[in-house]
Amino acid sequence: MSDARLPVERLSIILGEVRDVGVSQRGPRRTRLDVAADALPALLELLKGRAGYVHLSAISCVDWPVDGQFELVYHLWSYELNALVSVHTRIARDPGVYVSVYDIYHPAGFFERDIHEMYGVFFEGAPDMEKFILTEWDGPPPMRKEFDSEAWVNEHFDWQDYRPDWLLELEAQGGGIVTPPDEQRFSRRGITESDDES
Amino acid sequence: MPDSDQFPVKIEQPAQGGNIFSRVFDELTAFCRSRSLFILHYCTGCGAIELPPAMTSRFDMERLGISPMVSPRQADILLITGYVSVKTLKRVMLTYEQMGSPKYVIGICSCTVNGGMYWQSYATAKKLNDYMPVDLYIAGCMPRPEAVIAGLRQLMDKIAAGKANGWQDYYERYDHYLGNQQRLFGETWQTPTDVIAEARHYGLFGPETLGEHTKLLQQHQKPLEALEMRLGLGAPEKVKP
Amino acid sequence: MRAENYEARNHPPSHEFEINFGPNHPGIEGNYALKVRVHGDQVVAARADGGYLHRGFEKLMEQRLWIQNIALVPRICVPDPAPMEVAYSMAVEQLCGLDVPERAQWLRVLQLELSRLAAHLFTFGGHAATTGMYSPMFWGVADRDLLLDLFEELTGGRVYSIYNIPGGVRRDIPEGFLDRISATLDYLDSRLPDYDNLLFTNRVFVTRAKDTGPITQAQALEWGVTGPNLRATGLAFDVRRDDPYLVYDQLEFDIPTEQAGDAWARTLVRRGELQQSVRILRQVVERLPSVEGPIRAPIPNPLAWKVPVGEAYVRIESSKGELGWYVVSDGGEKPYRVHIRGPSSMHAVQVLEHLVTGARIEDVAQIMFSLDACPPEVDR
Repeated sequence: MSDARLPVERLSIILGEVRDVGVSQRGPRRTRLDVAADALPALLELLKGRAGYVHLSAISCVDWPVDGQFELVYHLWSYELNALVSVHTRIARDPGVYVSVYDIYHPAGFFERDIHEMYGVFFEGAPDMEKFILTEWDGPPPMRKEFDSEAWVNEHFDWQDYRPDWLLELEAQGGGIVTPPDEQRFSRRGITESDDES
Repeated sequence: MPDSDQFPVKIEQPAQGGNIFSRVFDELTAFCRSRSLFILHYCTGCGAIELPPAMTSRFDMERLGISPMVSPRQADILLITGYVSVKTLKRVMLTYEQMGSPKYVIGICSCTVNGGMYWQSYATAKKLNDYMPVDLYIAGCMPRPEAVIAGLRQLMDKIAAGKANGWQDYYERYDHYLGNQQRLFGETWQTPTDVIAEARHYGLFGPETLGEHTKLLQQHQKPLEALEMRLGLGAPEKVKP
Repeated sequence: MRAENYEARNHPPSHEFEINFGPNHPGIEGNYALKVRVHGDQVVAARADGGYLHRGFEKLMEQRLWIQNIALVPRICVPDPAPMEVAYSMAVEQLCGLDVPERAQWLRVLQLELSRLAAHLFTFGGHAATTGMYSPMFWGVADRDLLLDLFEELTGGRVYSIYNIPGGVRRDIPEGFLDRISATLDYLDSRLPDYDNLLFTNRVFVTRAKDTGPITQAQALEWGVTGPNLRATGLAFDVRRDDPYLVYDQLEFDIPTEQAGDAWARTLVRRGELQQSVRILRQVVERLPSVEGPIRAPIPNPLAWKVPVGEAYVRIESSKGELGWYVVSDGGEKPYRVHIRGPSSMHAVQVLEHLVTGARIEDVAQIMFSLDACPPEVDR
């Protein structure tokens, strides 16, 4: 069952059929392939049909606003070779449209639905693009980098009043809290320029 | 208790003239109520995993007279175990309004107090008693079964003393709660329960029950629609009214 | 009810109804909904509806430091939190190139297998409750509590241990802990015949669970089924053996499989895994005193820790299936992207819809519990 050749070598047989695939071996069982967006479905079909990567483990989407692109990563696992291949591709952020691979891999139905509601990427040909988790959400796609979750929370929710007796006594004597909680917040580090590096 | 500072504690006062029988009867009722509580086990969040240990043989909530119940119509306590996501909060509000009075709400875990660990999250509600009156908080992440039982015992004492009257505050300040719900769910938020009529029924209709938010509710109110198949799979059959 | 709704409505007779196995339902594992359309007793269509437990973990993790996320991570899967911690730590270690000391790896295996035992005991109870048998739930939860006592002694937390950090584990085992683990394992072994009598060979349970929610091998591979559900169709695939991590390549364990692929087979596979976990734990208990060394690799100041640029995909066998974590770092002090692929992403959504369609309405709850679908993993 085990093949002595590295997955990269076995893959090179089929990779010749798809143009411009960048290959790098990331570990004994991890291979990374970079392919152009229009060549990806063909590559996935080859990987599934000829190389035995029958299991789609996940489709991840990474938002690169600086490049203006979404990176879609398809993680494929082969039960025969015991190896994982991550196929990376980039699509333009602005229309945010790509083709669905549901007819190649059935699990893609869930992941594409998830990416659609979290990032706003539309997958043409997907069986179901309805919202699954965020059915009562009317804001922007929340996983995009420009969506500030904390600002949204401060706008839409209130916090508990924290007025314990000891604080009231201190304030009556002229004291109180020196640094307001907003400025103490560790989470804003790296977001506002006035924070100093520790 | 901190929550009792936020809404007036209303103790059921005996009638003028102090009929000893009605006072004794009220106290007996409160005692019996506190010893026979049904909790609606709606696992809203993480804390629900410590409920089965609290209910089963090791920590045994049932010896206190507390037992789980599946239907909100027959439950006394609504346990909000953990954080409440916005989607769940809508169903929790529907469930809360379906429960019959007197009803009690316990906010288990720190997420119900002030957002807890998910305070930055766009998807969870931060302050549970913005949306419904909470009788007791049990802090923790998550509280041990012993802590849950200790909290329930505190609630039982509160009920027996006649002080657990958060449900009355929902009717007395419905406009305030409805305002917060509309802020989160939108202006067209409505539930099938007619809270204002119930407030009148219980004699709790007060000056703060109606307000600008209930006006908005009445503007957007529409009668119940005929039930129709919504799954959109296969040939739908529309049930005509 | 409002006055305008007090009207008699004449509904024409219909055999088809839509029922919401809604979020507040004892037949649903956790806070999840399943809308089914039934024709008499038979389900003709189903649609899963999740998101009730959504907290936006992936977004939250981008806003916290690498070390702050440790506290957040176990909460993604509530019944079986240990694989989440280990996966996050392993991903960060791969990004940083940290070598985890051997003792820490053995301790991680200890934590993972104890968590697997606890999760399986919990699942047995839940599954039995859907067939109307409530005693196994009491037994399962009570026995699981002994394991939670062990967790509390080791880590301080009954459910969410927060025991791992990138580089190793946070504390070593206390005095006499291995004896207590052995005593608990002996107790669990002695209880297994009782469980068999009550649950696994109980005619009521077997009749209910046999031929319920069957999955064939081809369907399992096509639908992306993993874990015990896949092994119940006859395919002996286990991430611990195929993609070994930690010290699983030094441990001896079998991979239980069944052929039928129905709820009964899945239950038997989990029972087999329980026995194998006990076997693994005994090996760990035996080996651990002879494994010397630190329990943690040195890491830089956690509050100002910049992880090098890179990405990592970690796969772990949780009690429910294949857990995948994809972590991307851009060289900053907070993760750039974390994508969590819980095993229930497949089981609770597409597989559940496929299996429930055509089943009888009394089996809907049983199918969900037999798949061991964990909604917090789906919703994150």
